Amino acid sequence: MEKGKILLNAEHIDKRFGITHAVNDVSLTVSAGEIRALIGENGSGKSTFCQMLCGIYTIGGGTFTLDGQEVHVKNQVEANKLGVSIIVQEMGTLSGLTVAENIFLGHEDPFMHNGIKDTRAMIKEGQRLLDEYGFSGIRAGSMIDSYNFEDRKLVEIVKATYMKPKILIVDETTTALSQNGRLELYKIMDAVRADGRSVIFISHDLNEILTHCDTISILRDGEYIDTVNAKEIDEDGLKRLMVGREIGSAYYRTDYGKAISPEVVLSVKDVTVPNQIYDVSFELHRGEILGFGGLSECGMHEVGKAVFGASLDRKGTVTLADGTQINDIPTAIHHSIAYASKDRDNESIILNESIRNNIVLPSLDDLAENHILKAGKLNRFAQEFADKMQTKMQGIHQFISDLSGGNKQKVVLARWLGKGSDILVLDSPTRGIDVKVKQAIYALMQELTAQGKSIIMISEEIPELLGMSDRILIMKDGKINGEFMRSESLSEEDLIAKMV
Amino acid sequence: MQSFKNSKFYGFMILAAMVLFFYALFKILTPSNFGSPANLYSYFQSSIIYSVGGCGLYFIVVMGLFDFAVGANIVLSSIVGVILSEKFGYAGFIIGCIGCGTLIGVIIGMLYNRLNVPSMIVTVGIMLILESVAVFTAGGVKQTLAPELRFFSGAPGNIILAAFAFALMWFILNYTRIGTYCNAIGSNEFTAKNMGIDVKKYKLIGFALLHFFVGIMAILTVSYGTTMTALTGMSTMSRNFQPLMGTFFGVAFRKYGTPISAIVIGEFIIAIIFNGFVALGAPTTIQNVVTGGALLAIVTLTARGGRGSVVK
Repeated sequence: MEKGKILLNAEHIDKRFGITHAVNDVSLTVSAGEIRALIGENGSGKSTFCQMLCGIYTIGGGTFTLDGQEVHVKNQVEANKLGVSIIVQEMGTLSGLTVAENIFLGHEDPFMHNGIKDTRAMIKEGQRLLDEYGFSGIRAGSMIDSYNFEDRKLVEIVKATYMKPKILIVDETTTALSQNGRLELYKIMDAVRADGRSVIFISHDLNEILTHCDTISILRDGEYIDTVNAKEIDEDGLKRLMVGREIGSAYYRTDYGKAISPEVVLSVKDVTVPNQIYDVSFELHRGEILGFGGLSECGMHEVGKAVFGASLDRKGTVTLADGTQINDIPTAIHHSIAYASKDRDNESIILNESIRNNIVLPSLDDLAENHILKAGKLNRFAQEFADKMQTKMQGIHQFISDLSGGNKQKVVLARWLGKGSDILVLDSPTRGIDVKVKQAIYALMQELTAQGKSIIMISEEIPELLGMSDRILIMKDGKINGEFMRSESLSEEDLIAKMV
Repeated sequence: MQSFKNSKFYGFMILAAMVLFFYALFKILTPSNFGSPANLYSYFQSSIIYSVGGCGLYFIVVMGLFDFAVGANIVLSSIVGVILSEKFGYAGFIIGCIGCGTLIGVIIGMLYNRLNVPSMIVTVGIMLILESVAVFTAGGVKQTLAPELRFFSGAPGNIILAAFAFALMWFILNYTRIGTYCNAIGSNEFTAKNMGIDVKKYKLIGFALLHFFVGIMAILTVSYGTTMTALTGMSTMSRNFQPLMGTFFGVAFRKYGTPISAIVIGEFIIAIIFNGFVALGAPTTIQNVVTGGALLAIVTLTARGGRGSVVK
């Protein structure tokens, strides 16, 4: 394909969900042979725009012209046939099918002869593709369920790219991948560009965007703002365009040398969860942000679950200052421990419920009067804490599934603020969240610690650990491998040296 | 690499171990009345009737749907088959049973898609209608299959027909899109839709296939019992559950890639347990309690999700 030629022309693209104007008259072009980043705050319309292009949502208005031909895509398979494919943020493979069936789902025709499927040929071709991509450890004939999240994501990458799409959309995929997985994805993106095709890349990691993309289009509140050359802008410039104002240096904490309170609020001793973590011991102090870092499989996420009483077969003790042992979730919540999981949609929120019900859930006992729940009281409670978190919503009765990732996270935090929890376990609190919400969450964390609340922050983002923690514990192979105090001189390299 | 514990061989081993366990248990408890080769052959012949229905149910259960009209369709299709056999012999019998069964499956599928209400509600309504239609069709008379049309009443006829049904299911699951798409819809209907799968069409196909197998089951049922009486008042409901038990085995053993074997062997295990209690002289109530308990125990031991997993 001729490089520089306009491959995608989106004209006046529009989409409404009820009263929300998700995409508002967006026009942009993407050229052949470029990696185009699409950035914006949560709820800015990036994903909706792309999902209209690949048929997941119907187009509300406007037209897409792909390689000179106007297209009206009805579903993903049709999009694939027209040369558009997408890799999504969450799980995109289907359980109960083999790896090969997942790769070729909706594209079985080459293996069908008079209505009969040549299963052997399908598995053979699937394996050939996996080998070609360097994913030989994944077997095409095996059930997809026997592989972990990351391997399934790699299968999805093969599925989305083997047919050599003209436009490959990568929607917030890198947060689900380890460093190696990310490198594989970057290689594939580079190959697409070298081949004269295009990538639309959605991510909240601005550094990643500046490193791997050629051009960057910015959306804000559903509207197109600008397209800039990646070589001609820096992170602060992008933040300014995304948010519409300076984000500046107040992003992370700026204080250093603050003494950690000697008062221990939580003591974890010799905690082991089979095949996950081994003999983990630490203390959490009053008003402290204790950061946990490490590579994705190091066990740090399990530490959060263990503290919250959510681990299975846990050994060792988790003890509060008053001697209460935390062995299960109800005890943890009753004794003022909150937990926000990394897997927000599956473990933190109830997707098919309203914002109100998600917020009031752990506080129902406190809100009940003689065991009777009054709607007015629940509404006021939910409204108060949703407002406190500045949740962008139509109202507290809106379903949480309608919200963007960042606003879902605000609802999770509103829930625990409402509960008045004293110890917050926040696993990847800013995963998939834009800079503006990030800034709000960081400010909230500081406000909470100033009130004497304590936070365990588990994070895969090293700058976040360095920027927000009073103390950092680095995990490796299920064990604590290093401890660092907050310091201006502490560098990413210091932490990485203990991770690998 | 796929672990041994996820292999087909492991699945077969568990099924074989369960057969041996229950056989040995009743053989020890009642050595003279239970478990001779002739007895086992008889248990197997009765169990394959339910296995055929279990195979049909698999197509919809795996999609997260349910059907309460299976029993009513067995009765109606049997009656239609017997009536047609009086004029057209075997052709009328086979086409009557399978044609009527499949047609009802198509109607259920269309209604389910059109009404957009849960399958359980649609099929309960259909069950009540079918029971009444069966009474009208039979004219209130017990329908008896002519003696010269009873090739499927015993071996080899019943085994040949059941083997045909099992082979057909194996073929559909492994060599057509239907098996893949039914699993995909059951896994995540929204994603399946986005993959271009016509979900409504495949649900309709699922119901049609289920009742095609119910039609075959009707042939085997009326051949085995030689007569069929139409009854109302939800009395056909009990006929739904025995095939469904086999389906539970099939769904449970799907992870080993052996759903059909699991349905067939699972029904055989249930037949062993049931006949074991008959041999012991246990009252029917006790037999039902223990058969239900055994089913729960078996499925719990074999198909239980990992600790902490969400089961619905």
